[in-house]
Amino acid sequence: MYRRQLLSIGAVAAVALVMGYLVAGQVKAQLLTPSNQVARYQALVRSVQDLEAANAQSRRQIATLRAEINALETDAAGRSAATQALQNQVADLRAHAGLTALHGPGVAVDLANGVPAPAAGGQASYLVNFQDVQDIVNLLFAQGAEGIAVNGRRITPLTAYSGSAGQVVIDQGPPLSSPIHVVAVGDRNRMVAALDDASALPGIRARQVQFQLHLTFVGSPDVALPAYDSSLQIPHVHAI
Amino acid sequence: MSTRFRPLPRGRSTARAISIWLIALLVALVATVQIRSQAEVERSLVGIDTTSLAFLIDDLHRANDTLQSETADLQARRATLQSGTSGAADQVLTDEANRLRAIEGLAPVHGPGVVIVIDATGLTALDLQDAINNLAAGGAEATSVNGHRVVTGVAIEQTASGVAIDGVVVSSPWTITTIGDAIRLGEVANLMTQALTADRRVHAATYRVEADVEIRSVVSARPFVYAVGS
Repeated sequence: MYRRQLLSIGAVAAVALVMGYLVAGQVKAQLLTPSNQVARYQALVRSVQDLEAANAQSRRQIATLRAEINALETDAAGRSAATQALQNQVADLRAHAGLTALHGPGVAVDLANGVPAPAAGGQASYLVNFQDVQDIVNLLFAQGAEGIAVNGRRITPLTAYSGSAGQVVIDQGPPLSSPIHVVAVGDRNRMVAALDDASALPGIRARQVQFQLHLTFVGSPDVALPAYDSSLQIPHVHAI
Repeated sequence: MSTRFRPLPRGRSTARAISIWLIALLVALVATVQIRSQAEVERSLVGIDTTSLAFLIDDLHRANDTLQSETADLQARRATLQSGTSGAADQVLTDEANRLRAIEGLAPVHGPGVVIVIDATGLTALDLQDAINNLAAGGAEATSVNGHRVVTGVAIEQTASGVAIDGVVVSSPWTITTIGDAIRLGEVANLMTQALTADRRVHAATYRVEADVEIRSVVSARPFVYAVGS
């Protein structure tokens, strides 16, 4: 009797041990994969955050340096008429290059993500992308905009747009995402009429219907644009 | 002899209850950790996937390097102005004016770059805008299409007669000339022409990298009508 009791206890213990191993293995396998994914993802996110902080710091430094240079140039211009004439020329060129803050009549355009459509599967068409921003900016320039900023980033003659789904990278700035706010100074009536035209911005309009992408705009008697705060270097270009 | 149920001693019963509670607690802990870690993965991946993050890091590195270079250039310019030497300000301003004229497309320029030729039927203004933006994102510093200088702000529009740059129709084949880092632009041009060749509307798309290309066309200066300096 005592021996049978011992045997049954031993059998239960052996089964429990095997079960324990199996459960521990399963738990380990399921826990480790997500934990590693999270750690890897978090490391990447931290890198992005660090780089964005360095990016913001550099842009602040550039804005400060440009202000200091402008002040030094103004000092020099005060001592010479020829320097004054040169400074006026440069001031006009800087304004057209987006290097100085502007204001005037214009429009404000808001663009925001829509909602995923079940029929569209994994497509990211409901997200605002860089081509949407590029299309709006090009339309506004074609309709008389004299200066444009996107989420506070000034567009320059060298501006380039890039980015993956839902991310909009403009020049050397950090990625922007929905909602996108485009402000343009210029012929406000012409710009509003162009934005109102159903045949303009066909890609965005189609996704407004399919994904409820948000596009709104309003004319204003006075909107303000900040100065460009990034690089305008052209190391490979030489005057003829 | 009777076989009546005999209760366990009080000490053994307490130990068993504690064991059961400990096991329950352990199971709850493991389950919580598992559920939370899964939820964290799902939540963190909602915004952007790891591949896109890696590309973003690469782009930010390049952007920050460019910003550093601009900072160094501005510091040198400030130092020149601070030196107060005769003519220092005039030289800085003249250099700046020449640089800005090139940036704004107001002056003829030359330098290393690529020339892309696209022979197609039915390409639209959006196609040309995308091509020019791809090159700009790839480091183009000056661009022209069929002899028309293009900078951001120059209108590229669809008209009844075809694609127009600043009101002038540009017919196929499009010859896109661009100046910049020739290696980087060559890579971009290679990808672009591959993609274009796969497009049914495109008969041929080729590119060549050149040590020196000229862009003699310029855009007309447009004085501001509405904008006022702040």
